[in-house]
Amino acid sequence: MAVLAWRGPQDNTVSIIQTTHLYHRFADDTQGLCDVSLAFNEGEFTVIAGANGSGKTTLLRHLNGLLLPESGAVTVCGKSVEEDPMAARQQVGMVFQDADSQIVGETVYDDAAFGPENLALGRLQINRRVTRALEAVDLCGFENKRPHHLSGGEKRRLAIAGVLAMAPRVLLMDEPFSNLDYPATCLVLDQILNLHSNGHTIIITTHDLEKVVAHAQRLVVMADGRVVEDGLPTEVIDGVARYGIRPPCSVQLGKGIRPWMS
Amino acid sequence: MDELSTIGFAPGQSPLHQLDPRTKQALLMGLSAISPWGRLTFLVSLSVVILLSFRAAGIRLSRLIGDIRYFLLFLLFVFVVRTVTFSGGWIPNISVELAGEALMVCWRLLMVVSMGALLMATTRAADIRAALVWYLKPIPVVDEKMAATMVGLVVRFLPVILFQAAEISDAQRARGIERRKNPLSRLMIFSLPLFRRVFLSADELVAAMQARCYSEHRTLPDLSFSRHDGLAIGAGILISLTVLFP
Repeated sequence: MAVLAWRGPQDNTVSIIQTTHLYHRFADDTQGLCDVSLAFNEGEFTVIAGANGSGKTTLLRHLNGLLLPESGAVTVCGKSVEEDPMAARQQVGMVFQDADSQIVGETVYDDAAFGPENLALGRLQINRRVTRALEAVDLCGFENKRPHHLSGGEKRRLAIAGVLAMAPRVLLMDEPFSNLDYPATCLVLDQILNLHSNGHTIIITTHDLEKVVAHAQRLVVMADGRVVEDGLPTEVIDGVARYGIRPPCSVQLGKGIRPWMS
Repeated sequence: MDELSTIGFAPGQSPLHQLDPRTKQALLMGLSAISPWGRLTFLVSLSVVILLSFRAAGIRLSRLIGDIRYFLLFLLFVFVVRTVTFSGGWIPNISVELAGEALMVCWRLLMVVSMGALLMATTRAADIRAALVWYLKPIPVVDEKMAATMVGLVVRFLPVILFQAAEISDAQRARGIERRKNPLSRLMIFSLPLFRRVFLSADELVAAMQARCYSEHRTLPDLSFSRHDGLAIGAGILISLTVLFP
């Protein structure tokens, strides 16, 4: 599989994250990832699909430096994640599947400020970043609310704000639509599309392609810790069922990929 | 996940919310330290102030009682142990004098716990942590940032653990746990899933904190004393002076 190299911000095509022959084995000897070589370009919207246990979340955690490879390498902006995980985490923000486990602050403000405080920024700058991040996800006016009183969709948006406040270039989202009702899913999807149109690189993992695949520029399919398909969604979508992924209804009806949200 | 517990922070604008966390910690430590010498006047004055503070902070007493119900059972146990004596036989003796002393002990303990609950309900964990760093900084052998982080995490986690415990308890009652009469077996059945969930949550929380570049050298909240802090310290000294009265 061809892997694009990091060529610096001046070049036209830039792979901001790159994994090379990445392997990961869990403590119980299960193979989590097997020979994963991928390059993600700046500004790209990628969906990584796969059944449960296919290695999607494990891969995301490698991109953010939360897991380190058994062998192989991960680089962010040309720098090895293993050598400097903190630098990788500043560039690559991760939104966890369970928003509750990501919420650290007692109020919405505290939680959004957690990341910038860790970067030891000044209080004024922290306030500016928090305001901007909460605006980006439509949570202005919620600053003094307790996060645990928010709805599922609001919590998910707060989790995104908490990452945005760190001003990352890449947003990793692990199953961002799980446990959300229809209106909340629409809002979160809308926010994600806005972030992408503002220049963020977006990488989303999901086992449910229906909601997001129409907006993706690239579809990566994983099975048993390996990348089994990688390409344009229109090229890859027809074969996803054999990896335990349900194709969108429009594809099943032979109408090709259609946006889920009108 | 509705109201977590009284022991978790509840945002507000009450006078207690506006006090500097260092003042609140100083009052908690000072009043707790002198409480063993406090008699009826001290305990009544302190109780009145604490009740008014709970009211001002918008915390319902029924919630507090619910949250500390196991501690109240412990106090009942302490009261019984200190009141009932067995002098030379199996027949228990109950002395009014001992009961009075036991009541004082339990009342003091209840005041200390109530003050702690007030502090946690009206102060962000980040502020508690910043105040602790300020207090520990002059002590040479203590790594103040590490100690404050550990305390901050306990404060952050306590309401979550209480919530998980309540959820597990509800789930077990829904499947008729009351029909098991052996308290040891019930304790085992309750504590195993609780520990498993607490450890899993702790792992997830650590990953989430790492993902957002957690470090000990982070920006702490700005702390500043105001006129209200002076008034609160003054009130604290007045209450402390009541230990001189019976």
